[in-house]
Amino acid sequence: MDLFANALNGIPLWWFLVVSAALFCIGLYGVMARKNAIAMLMGVELMLNAVNINLIAFWRFIAPNSPSGLAFAAFVFVIAAAEAAIGLALIISVYRSNQSIDPEKLDQMKL
Amino acid sequence: MALTLQQVIFLALAVVVIGAALFVVTTRNLFRAALMLVLSFFAVAGFYVLLDAGLFAVAQILIYIGAISILIIFSVMLTRGMQAMIPRNSQAFWSAVVVAIIFAMLLLLLGPLRTTVNVAAWPIIGSIFPNATPRELGAVPWAYAVEPATGLPAVVPETYIATFGFSLVDINQYVLPFLLVALLVDIALSGAVHIARQRRPIEVIQERQDIAAEDAAEAEAIRNAQQPAPVPAPALPEGAVAAATSAANEH
Amino acid sequence: MNPINDLLNIIGGFIAGIINSIFSFSPFLADAITMGLAAIILCTFAALSFMGLTYAERKVVARIQDRVGPNQAGPLGLLQPIADGIKMFTKEDTTPAAADRWVYNLAPLVIAVFALTTYAVLPFAPGVVGTNLNIGVFYVLAIGSGSIVAIIMAGWGSNNKYALLGAFRTVAQLVGYEVPMLLNVLPVVMLAGSMGLIDIIDHQTLANGNAGIPFLLFFPLSAVVFLISGIAETARSPFDLLEAESEIVAGFHVEYSGMKFALFFLGEYVNALAVAFVFSTLFLGGFAGPILPPYIWLLLKAGAVFTIFMWLRGTLPRVRIDQMHNLNWKFFVPLSIVHLILVIILLKVFVTSPAQQAATGGILVDAWVQAAIMFVASALTLIAGLGLAARRARISRLAEEDVLARRRAENMATAGAA
Repeated sequence: MDLFANALNGIPLWWFLVVSAALFCIGLYGVMARKNAIAMLMGVELMLNAVNINLIAFWRFIAPNSPSGLAFAAFVFVIAAAEAAIGLALIISVYRSNQSIDPEKLDQMKL
Repeated sequence: MALTLQQVIFLALAVVVIGAALFVVTTRNLFRAALMLVLSFFAVAGFYVLLDAGLFAVAQILIYIGAISILIIFSVMLTRGMQAMIPRNSQAFWSAVVVAIIFAMLLLLLGPLRTTVNVAAWPIIGSIFPNATPRELGAVPWAYAVEPATGLPAVVPETYIATFGFSLVDINQYVLPFLLVALLVDIALSGAVHIARQRRPIEVIQERQDIAAEDAAEAEAIRNAQQPAPVPAPALPEGAVAAATSAANEH
Repeated sequence: MNPINDLLNIIGGFIAGIINSIFSFSPFLADAITMGLAAIILCTFAALSFMGLTYAERKVVARIQDRVGPNQAGPLGLLQPIADGIKMFTKEDTTPAAADRWVYNLAPLVIAVFALTTYAVLPFAPGVVGTNLNIGVFYVLAIGSGSIVAIIMAGWGSNNKYALLGAFRTVAQLVGYEVPMLLNVLPVVMLAGSMGLIDIIDHQTLANGNAGIPFLLFFPLSAVVFLISGIAETARSPFDLLEAESEIVAGFHVEYSGMKFALFFLGEYVNALAVAFVFSTLFLGGFAGPILPPYIWLLLKAGAVFTIFMWLRGTLPRVRIDQMHNLNWKFFVPLSIVHLILVIILLKVFVTSPAQQAATGGILVDAWVQAAIMFVASALTLIAGLGLAARRARISRLAEEDVLARRRAENMATAGAA
């Protein structure tokens, strides 16, 4: 199909890198400036997505013949999913005993 | 200037993803934040399609939108985040400043701006570091690797999925991280189920009894350790002091 | 090869030529308009088939229930879908007062869009496919899972506790039944060596275009579990506890009326037809067949699968929610995993192509022999699994009856003593 003969027609690498950096910084702000544990987790997911865009952009531009970039990105996918599952399970469990998921209130190791 | 179709698509996706991400981190309605997170995941999947990694676009939709977003929305509802409006943190302003500085630094490193920075030539700081060599900032040169014939990056081979798959099971490549990550997911699955399990009332009572029994056993052990010495240490809990005085009164 | 197939190609080429000549100043625009037209044709086909399917379903279920079905609107009730459409269009379009308007209005649209997007990768004939993705199977499953967020949107946007509860339970069911679907698509993908739907069909056809060995004969267990999971994925009977009027008052779409409800309805039937198409492509050989044109074969096979759906709807009672989850997590998933391991081992041991044998070793057998071996292994696993599950169910039933009988005896004793 002629429309997408070269999907990267005219897009240099640094465009992807800038978008990924911006997404990472927004996620970082989300983690640092939020008072709700789930909102912080959303920031972490944004950061992981930014990292993945970065990895796949570098794979595409530098070494499309090698699988390293793809493997690394796949591992990031899997680890993000596992971390989200455990994080949310912990949040729910903490909510059950403390009735609050404000991270500033959770400063004791008691159940 | 004339933008090609791909550039237009890229700019549209970038606007969507940055806008959705900004909404996610600034809104006070947690459910809307979760929905905007889903939108940003879609835009990131669009980026993967643009980067000729269709497999990862579909994986993004399946994993992030089909599983993680649902998890997030479920936990938002289970922790009553739907009714409450979440307040802002006290560090919101300074974290915004820090994030802006970090983003500026990243832009300097990754953007098209190319300058040469010579710290030794700066007015005051240059005297502190007189031996600093001139550094070139800006996108690293090898990021512009292109095919000389077409001026575009190399074409992704048709068999990129097969190469990727083989690399995950090849003993000389990435089989070890693959197995470790599989083990990690296994542990995460059982761990999450165990942590978030709804405890039956009998189990809750049993847990509380266990904790009370542990506390009592600790107090008893401290009491027994302190019985030979009639002067109690000031860090003892009250029960031990009362028990020690009563034990002393008995003698 | 087939005159009707060639006719379709000629008409398609003609229309594409016209559009190309009109928009010759910009090839990008010509391509875009051609693709847009193809998408419109696909969506129209899906919508028209939705109308026909509602009518067919009502007639078939009625016959199973020993009644006639719609026969008032037009001869034999054939205009019933049009009457239904007029009804849906003219119903009042309500919105709950405190509902979140964006979310409430967007949910049915998202579901309908996702359901229709699945048709983009289905091959209707050897050259007739929306886009020949080499990850077609993966794409279909991902789109199916992507539409689940829209159900939560619908449940929350209605501002109704029961809608929210219904949405949660629906999502739990849909997410749960994705796992056996994914696990049972894997043997097919491994045997065909590719995730592209046209490659899978090619592996089920002989070199001269006639039908070869359908994958149903290789993996009956996978086919059965995929079919049942597909029924559960689209929340059809007997897995429709979550939208049954007598149980949870229509679940997550209780607050929707008029055109938005019609979009939910359309999404359900379009999804069911997509599952039927995908099943025919994966397990029955898609458009391969001896004499008739390819798309007639595909429609026949998908129609047969959809008839099985309608048959199950009319015959089986509704499954309870804990029974449904037990069936999924305690029966389908372990069975699928065991079957997958068995298939992996057998596929590695018995190979059919000399190149593969030279590369990886193994026993070279004919395709039919391999099919017979896999069929025996798969069928044995299915029967063993069913036997184990039946035995466990029998033991638990006997234990329950034992407890009940004891309690009854106690009650009789105390009643007799009193």
